[in-house]
Amino acid sequence: MSISRRAFLRSSAAVAALSLALPEFAFAQTKAEAGGTLRVAVDQAISVIHPLLTRVNPEYLAVELLYSGLTRLGVNMQPEPDLATSWESNDDLTEWTFTLREGVKFHDGSPCTAADAVASFEAILNPEMASPARNNVGPIDKIEAVDDTTVRFTLSTPYADLPVALSYNNARIIPAAVISSDFQSLRSKAVGTGPFKLVSYEPDRLLVVERNPDFYDPERPYLDRIELHVFPDLGAQISSLISGDIDMVSTVAPNDFMRLEGQDGIDTLRAASGQFCNVNFGTDIAPFNDVRVRKALALTIDRDAMVDFMTEGFGTKGNDTPLNESYPFFKALPQREKNIEEAKKLLAEAGFPDGFTAELVASDRPAIRTQLAVALKEMAKEAGITINVNTMPHATYLDQVWTKGAFYVGFYNMQPTPDGILKLLFTSDAAWNETRWNNKTFDDLVAKARAVADPAERTELYTQAQQLMHDEVPSLIPAFFDVLGAKRSWVQDYQIHPRASVFRLDYAWLNTEAPTRKG
Amino acid sequence: MSASYILKRIALIFYTLVVVSLLVFAITQILPADAAVMMLGENATADALEALRQQMGLNDPIWLQYLHWAGGVLQGDFGTSLRTGQPVGPALFSALGTSLTLAAFALVFMLLLAIPMGIIAAVRRGKFADLSVSFISYIGVSLPEFVTATLAVVLVADWWKLLPPAGYVPLTQDFWGGLERLILPVIVVSVMMIAHVSRMVRSELVDVMHTDYIRAARLKGLTPRRVLFRHGLRNALLPTITIVALDVGYLLGGVIVVEEIFSIPGIGRSLMSAIQARDLPVIQAGVMIMATTYAVVNFIADVTYAWLDKRIQYD
Repeated sequence: MSISRRAFLRSSAAVAALSLALPEFAFAQTKAEAGGTLRVAVDQAISVIHPLLTRVNPEYLAVELLYSGLTRLGVNMQPEPDLATSWESNDDLTEWTFTLREGVKFHDGSPCTAADAVASFEAILNPEMASPARNNVGPIDKIEAVDDTTVRFTLSTPYADLPVALSYNNARIIPAAVISSDFQSLRSKAVGTGPFKLVSYEPDRLLVVERNPDFYDPERPYLDRIELHVFPDLGAQISSLISGDIDMVSTVAPNDFMRLEGQDGIDTLRAASGQFCNVNFGTDIAPFNDVRVRKALALTIDRDAMVDFMTEGFGTKGNDTPLNESYPFFKALPQREKNIEEAKKLLAEAGFPDGFTAELVASDRPAIRTQLAVALKEMAKEAGITINVNTMPHATYLDQVWTKGAFYVGFYNMQPTPDGILKLLFTSDAAWNETRWNNKTFDDLVAKARAVADPAERTELYTQAQQLMHDEVPSLIPAFFDVLGAKRSWVQDYQIHPRASVFRLDYAWLNTEAPTRKG
Repeated sequence: MSASYILKRIALIFYTLVVVSLLVFAITQILPADAAVMMLGENATADALEALRQQMGLNDPIWLQYLHWAGGVLQGDFGTSLRTGQPVGPALFSALGTSLTLAAFALVFMLLLAIPMGIIAAVRRGKFADLSVSFISYIGVSLPEFVTATLAVVLVADWWKLLPPAGYVPLTQDFWGGLERLILPVIVVSVMMIAHVSRMVRSELVDVMHTDYIRAARLKGLTPRRVLFRHGLRNALLPTITIVALDVGYLLGGVIVVEEIFSIPGIGRSLMSAIQARDLPVIQAGVMIMATTYAVVNFIADVTYAWLDKRIQYD
């Protein structure tokens, strides 16, 4: 079917001439074409396809194709309808009601109703299930099905970001029947309501999905089939993209990005993001329990140089807070710049007139962690601080240093909301309390911001919280990374997402220049 | 060759495997990581971790854990992967199949090239052909795979666009497509083995051609061709069997770089990612499967050797 349609379109001189002469115009005007196989390269094995247990971007991608959430995250970081078509809350933001689509079916043909949504969120919140989504879906106290298409969330504290939080990568709706019978069975099969159905799955090589004809939107998805190819070697990804063997690379390194720029038939994709690599202080361990020492180190950093060195220029300066322009409710604070005099003065006040020596731990994955550590070592020298960089295997780091150490390098994806990243890393009750900063004023500001619907007021509260972090420096955040990707020009309507873990391939389609692939 | 020789060799294989299993079990105990944490992730509660440790028997004494594990292995149960939550056995055997496919093609390709190269070099000793073969061998031995693999991808795939740069398709799924994607990796892993084997064949053949029985063969008036192939080569090729058996080990575990660059889901890569993720059951099973394959291949080589070389008595 699709072959003959394609052949017909290709032979149509009018279409070809138009797209040759005015590609931009033609693309903007063309309606999405259905059909075709899209091949995507991912850089890590897809070890887990259980929608509630995924942990890395290629797994998030696979699950996004196969399952739906109640809401999904737009490229503008705003929540959009998925299985829920609308939602509203009471005035104090403690009770949220979501209205679900009618007539949605799971891949096995069974209906998806409010009862499945309730069971899914109960599973997510059940510590026994150990879903990483548990810490990210908000302060849900109770969830109940009002009727077949209405779900009510009762929260333990007010939470303005609930619709965004519910779009979290591993907060997906699965059949209640599967949860009660064999929860783990979803590690090897997929029973979702997503735009695609699972065809085959080999963790280290290939995952294939095909169009779900019963998807709730009759138009989407446009593609017949998507193949996720695992390419552990970044160079091989790029070669395969250039040769046209694959159509899209989900993540591209800066040097490959520069190599691809200007190549015929390839579009490089770039989005500013809140992704960062930072240096964490154990704020309960000497000498880093002294604000002056932490601030002195912050003042040794040449942030422009950091952006150049760490991101090859594909990034933005950080100001020792995890928020930047990419987040909603953001207002910039005055930028901290390098000031060796001030740093030395602070060190002397803290009792280290001749500097001190410290060991900075960096895990070996990704390599950028070590780059940051080495750069900081060189910059801190000027203020008399001697840093010894200790690189260790990632698993060893997680076991021995992470959330326990005094001085180590972290690496984080952008979260959907300011609340998401602050609650993940920096409040006293943070899921990963890496710095043990435990500042009550900061906690209160973050908690207050959750309970406010007015954007201006929220911005003000987050700015105060940022100011506190900026002053006390529990963590050095010298630079943010842009998210980089690439695709063949024949792939249409794919936008790279600042969060790097959201893909929205049900909107993507292939124009007539795409190669026809059997499958 | 006697039956007792074969039995002795088989007993030795079992002994070796027991020692390997003890070693790998000990090593995985020392690796700094908590299997329960690796399995449930950073978000697990202390209760859930403790329950899982109980369930997996992680709190048992190590010798008991070893016996449980070894008992499972003997029944074909290699445990559950911490990373995927799937049984370890099927995934690893499929990876082994991939590696063996690559190995088989590479061995055939290598032998087809290396043996004639060795013969030419020996016959034309000191002449241009010999020097060329030596030169090529030296290059093969000196260039690491990541260089030859990258060169192959850049030249053949990126510039000349003759072959796809990477990826693996099982031959059972798409024979010609799969074969096309095997060409570059097969050439790359063969380069180093060609160097080994052609030099081996050359030196053996040179030695053999200086023996008394070859002189006798010549003196009784056989044609040089008959002397070379019937009397010389048959003897000179024997040690090649040993080299090939050793190369199977190299092809299973030593070609991780090639597997990474060409995205081939072989057993080397499975083991590597298991080590990075501290996926202990996969590490243990992977090492055991590789050790077993290696031992079996060497056993076959030894028996073949004994069978072919009637001059030596094995007992």
